[in-house]
Amino acid sequence: MTVTPAVVEEEPTKKGLSFKLPLDETEMGLIAGIVAAIVVVFTGLPAVIKGIALILAFLWGMDSVRKTSKYGLGTGVPSIGVLATGFGVVGALVGLALAKYGSIEGVAYPAVLVGVILMGVIGLVAGILSNHEKVIAMKIPKLERAMMELGMAGTLIILLECSIVTGSLNFNAVVNQVLNTGLIALMFIFTCFGLLHPYNACLGPDENRERTRMCSVEIVGLLCALLGFVMIILSSFSWELGSIASVTISSPWKLWNGVSLLIFGLAVWAYFFRMFIKACMDEAYETVGTGMIKTIE
Amino acid sequence: MEPILIILCVVAGGLLASLGAHLLPVGGAPAAMGTATGIATGTVQIMLGAAMTGLFTAASAATFTDSLLLVALSGAIGATVMMCVVMLMANILYTFGCGIVPVSGRVDVDPLTKEPQAPYKTPQTDGHGVPNCVYVSGMLGGFVGGFGGALMYFALLNYADFSAGTAAIGALAIFVPNAIIAAYNIRGTIEGFHDPKFKRLPFAMVTSLVISLLCGIMVVIASYLTVGGTM
Repeated sequence: MTVTPAVVEEEPTKKGLSFKLPLDETEMGLIAGIVAAIVVVFTGLPAVIKGIALILAFLWGMDSVRKTSKYGLGTGVPSIGVLATGFGVVGALVGLALAKYGSIEGVAYPAVLVGVILMGVIGLVAGILSNHEKVIAMKIPKLERAMMELGMAGTLIILLECSIVTGSLNFNAVVNQVLNTGLIALMFIFTCFGLLHPYNACLGPDENRERTRMCSVEIVGLLCALLGFVMIILSSFSWELGSIASVTISSPWKLWNGVSLLIFGLAVWAYFFRMFIKACMDEAYETVGTGMIKTIE
Repeated sequence: MEPILIILCVVAGGLLASLGAHLLPVGGAPAAMGTATGIATGTVQIMLGAAMTGLFTAASAATFTDSLLLVALSGAIGATVMMCVVMLMANILYTFGCGIVPVSGRVDVDPLTKEPQAPYKTPQTDGHGVPNCVYVSGMLGGFVGGFGGALMYFALLNYADFSAGTAAIGALAIFVPNAIIAAYNIRGTIEGFHDPKFKRLPFAMVTSLVISLLCGIMVVIASYLTVGGTM
């Protein structure tokens, strides 16, 4: 009896807090896909714009994870996020290998999108086989589409991260600066968490899409700050430790991009983290402090 | 670069990854409360941990040898050691921390040691810890999975001529979808080869074959375009 007024009372506070980015899942996917694809092609853009595209791509991936995991995968939410990242790395490798065709060095690499499309096809095949009654029979509605989207979003995310750090999508440059330095391991884990953590943390009977998205944006903020930090390091030191003694800034472009991305990332993280915690507090029935844990004599 | 060998190795690695995921004792959330047999986490985490350990040992071996078998076996040993340590620690925690005996929930008699299981099982639960047959199955799973991962690493390193970092992340990226599709096939939890769910193996194998074949073709394309060579 007392539940109904409480719910009615909560409505206005929810409205006030809701995340401004409109759009349902399909529109979100289309817009994020198109924006991220355009940004990934033009690698000469400032890192902050790539960071915004990264946020959109993560939101798209998170939506796909959310609508698939809602039905219960049986293995927990993390599995589908890791799957997307695995697909993403393979797609990014092919995209980077193709990048030299029709490219303007340092400015535009349209051929990388072939990698995204190929990964979409593999994702679709994986989705069809997983959902087919005679094969794995997961019986999740629209799993085919979600897996295709996850493959594409994962590839776009990895390519954007490479493009942020390297400033170009030349295969050798990416191999030298991202893959051989081991930075790809950090990207792999962070991409996994950006995709899987929002829904994994927020799931439950009272999960709502706005709050989950805030969590997603917050993680991308952290990722941007980290990539900005990496860019600052890459710009001023060469990879041999011996050269630390003579610090020369080899690439001012990278340094300023790194600093701006670091500031952007921290600002996004701080803003959305505050917003997320506030939303959690407001939408909870009541938040009470328990005080310090008492020790028993 | 040798396209046929790359595709063969990647497909074999994918199939072994899928088989390995079926052999591991995955307990999931119920095992975290001690009410199911296996390690208390999902297939992905266990398989990723085992595969990464395997890749580390395989990469170390690959720095001084060109033998496929040696690299693959060192990967397998790395993954097996990792799995054994994890299962042993799980058993220590369950027995001394929770005070429950390791017992299988799916069979009444241990298929390897013929020890009775049913009398020791707490009613309303699905077994506890990592009993003998499950331990052996987990060791086999780690071995097979690590072998598959290292096989892919070797193919990407030596046949596709990628650098060590690219080969490692590529192998991991192909390994992961195969292991996860296998995890979907077993619906989250499995005890090992004696589990009734193990009979679903062919379905995962078919999917794994298709996915790793496509991924192998992708790797061949990437290798052909970057490193060059004769197709």
